[in-house]
Amino acid sequence: MSTELEAGAEHRRRPRGAKPPATLVVPAVLVALLALTPVGYLLFRGGMSFPRLLHELSSPSTGTLISHTLLLAVGVTLACIVLGVALAVLVVRTDLPAKRFWTVLFALPLGIPAFVTSYTWVAAGYEFAPRSTFIYGLRGAIIVLSLALYPYVYLPVMAALRGLDPAQEEAARSMGVRPFSAFFRVTLSQLRTAIAGGSLIIALHMLAEFGALELLRYQTLTTAIVQRVTVLSAPEAARALSVVLAVGALLFLAADAFLRGRSTPTRMGGGVARSAVPWRLGRTKAVWLGACVLLTIFALGVPLYSMVTGLTRLVLDGGAGFDWTRLGSAALDTAQYAVATALVASVVAIPVSLLAVRYPGWLATLTERSTWIAHSLPGVVVSLALVYLSVRWLTPFYQTSALLVAGYVILFLPIAVGAQQVGIAHASPQFDKVSRSLGIGGLATFFRVTLPLALPGVAAGAVLVLLNVGKELTMTLLLHPTGTRTLATALWATTDGEVLDFSAAAPYAVALVVITAIPAFLLIRQTLQPSRGGGRTR
Amino acid sequence: MNFVDGTPRATRSPSLARLGLLALLGVALVSALMPAFADDAAQASSPADVTLTIYSGQHESLGEALAAAFEAETGIKVAVRSSKDANLANQILEEGARSQADVFITEEPGQLAALDEKGLFAPVDQATLAQVDQRLNPDSGDWVAYAARSRVIFYNPSLISEDELPTSILDLTDPAWKGKFAYAPSGAFVSTVTYLITSIGEEQTRDWLQGIKANGVNLLKNGAVRDAVEAGQIAFGLSNHYYWYLLAQKQGGPDKLASKVHFMGDGDAGALLLASGAAVLKTSTHQAEAQRFLAWLTDPQGGQQIIATTTPQYPLAPGVESTMGLKPLSELSPPDVDQGSLGGVDEARDLIIQTGII
Repeated sequence: MSTELEAGAEHRRRPRGAKPPATLVVPAVLVALLALTPVGYLLFRGGMSFPRLLHELSSPSTGTLISHTLLLAVGVTLACIVLGVALAVLVVRTDLPAKRFWTVLFALPLGIPAFVTSYTWVAAGYEFAPRSTFIYGLRGAIIVLSLALYPYVYLPVMAALRGLDPAQEEAARSMGVRPFSAFFRVTLSQLRTAIAGGSLIIALHMLAEFGALELLRYQTLTTAIVQRVTVLSAPEAARALSVVLAVGALLFLAADAFLRGRSTPTRMGGGVARSAVPWRLGRTKAVWLGACVLLTIFALGVPLYSMVTGLTRLVLDGGAGFDWTRLGSAALDTAQYAVATALVASVVAIPVSLLAVRYPGWLATLTERSTWIAHSLPGVVVSLALVYLSVRWLTPFYQTSALLVAGYVILFLPIAVGAQQVGIAHASPQFDKVSRSLGIGGLATFFRVTLPLALPGVAAGAVLVLLNVGKELTMTLLLHPTGTRTLATALWATTDGEVLDFSAAAPYAVALVVITAIPAFLLIRQTLQPSRGGGRTR
Repeated sequence: MNFVDGTPRATRSPSLARLGLLALLGVALVSALMPAFADDAAQASSPADVTLTIYSGQHESLGEALAAAFEAETGIKVAVRSSKDANLANQILEEGARSQADVFITEEPGQLAALDEKGLFAPVDQATLAQVDQRLNPDSGDWVAYAARSRVIFYNPSLISEDELPTSILDLTDPAWKGKFAYAPSGAFVSTVTYLITSIGEEQTRDWLQGIKANGVNLLKNGAVRDAVEAGQIAFGLSNHYYWYLLAQKQGGPDKLASKVHFMGDGDAGALLLASGAAVLKTSTHQAEAQRFLAWLTDPQGGQQIIATTTPQYPLAPGVESTMGLKPLSELSPPDVDQGSLGGVDEARDLIIQTGII
């Protein structure tokens, strides 16, 4: 029997009464509690009552903000799904020329943070079409952000497509189903998990996005929250909107669970999946190639153009008044925070992921979803919570890097958990049982057997966390210790009334992209590695 | 041995020992990371090693420039935390008696006046208060004005001419202005609303805000208002003079810009002159050094020179003129107001939220 079926059926075969060990449950529950601290602050900080909440929410702008946020989230997610799936199909299932080149190219926007992309678009807009307001508002936000975020759907769908056995689709066609219909009904439904996973990330990102939307002049719940805190000094009103935001995030989580469905694709029997016969594009090949080029120009070309020309202009100006040492220290600080967070988050996430994979049930679901709730809140809410808690009860930590790292960990924990789960799923429990039957204790088994097997997943999780910390703006703005700055906050400082011609921002943007491009590149490469035949270990 | 799910398992003893091991690992990890971060929290305590902590609502570069110049002149080390006024005021309130801030300098008077009403500031030395234009110091004497900015209108002559501009910002509720102007709900906007509440009353201010929301385009940031008017995306915008002169300086002079700046005058609310102020916190453990910073900040040869030469804000020490080509302070006719009365940020905030602007 293949290990894949074993792993897939594991949760159905788990006998009743096999409880997870305390060494796993206690840390996992502690982590979940840590992740829920911001939510607790939201609801229970003295003075928040239901009538007050309703009063704050009765402002005429609340309904508008909610609809704006929903429209944005739905619009960008749908656009990304269409783009991501279309591109994945193009590079995996058609005879597009130079496929390997396009495969990597389509994934590259992952390396540029959304607010940097928006900044470059605004700068390019002022340069080429100053009177146009095309890129602003809902329409512009959907276009710019889906061009920046589609890789979150494209990568998992592409990886899933590669691993799929075309036998089912071919079987359908042999029964007379038309090719397109076969694709939609058979293959696409198997891609549901990949699409749902990427969509959830994007939808939640839209709930939390601040910098890009402020630049693109589109008000959502999050921009309103940040403005209510930083401009109006109205944390109560900000918290009321945060509650709405949290509810929205929960709804998205529920929708994701619904979309994923219960069945997991399994393949019976041994053997290797045949690679699918590529669809021939024929005469439309030139059109598709043109479309690919256009997409690359918009998704990659515009950001790169603004950055390169901005940098060139600065250098030609003789580096007019630009502080290069500050750039260096900002880069160093960013890298330090990113690495520290990746380490801590990876360690902290392990109990939760182990629980979710090996002992699925209500406890595992609860702990995993707790981490997702904190992640879905905008950075400003978590920051407020941490300031409050640290000032009242954890004074030595106040305004320290440790607090900022703690905030990052709360924010990005589920990313590590999600990636680790994939890795741990590869580490079949069979090996654990063998190890224990040889007399090795539980913890030792974990370190000597499970962890090495799960390492790719754990490493992927660490890399993803690294990527996200490098890009993070809002929380850093509010929590960074006096005198330190990251590339993101330094870049943001250049939008604050300074001139928007990007030459002051370009070096920071370039450095930021270099730092975030490395983990993005590693992630892309890992995703592109040939499929391992599902669950089979080296 | 026991058989749980059909496979033999070695019986395990209670895992408290393992829990303890994990906890130890955790503590070891945290304390390994701590030294790397501990230096941020430590404040030097010996007199020769005093570090003044300044919470600055000014743009980061200006805060740093002031800190560097003060350090060079006096040898007192300065750590600057830059953020928005409201953010920092929030933090000072949250921190309470444990606040690490010694000095609070702002862009707008609102947050200073609000905190002053709560009694958080130590009185400023008389000599310091006397160094600047008296019009802009608050009546309470608990903070000092070191710079000023004026509310203005930026307009694009290709879309609207100067005589077509409204004579008062209160006119903007007329539907004839719909879609013609932009605004940004920034700190100065809040100060304007606070001023209007004190001068025309809450109900009229609410009507005005509703008119602004209906007729104007909310561009979220002052820089965006300036850039949109300059690019010709909108006819005119309400903002602070500061942003326009910044662009002018970058482009090589006011005549290089497509847009122009219009000071409203006539004591209109649209001509409000707003003080950037500095205060010493009562909870500060470095009172002498903090007062010294304020004295240096308002010194015609000290901080005022930085203000005059590196930023388009109005310096306030008599005899110090800005080098940025600003319209002279003497030619402006702002409304007469006690900057200390602009602390009604809470009411302004409620109105702004209730009318749906933010």
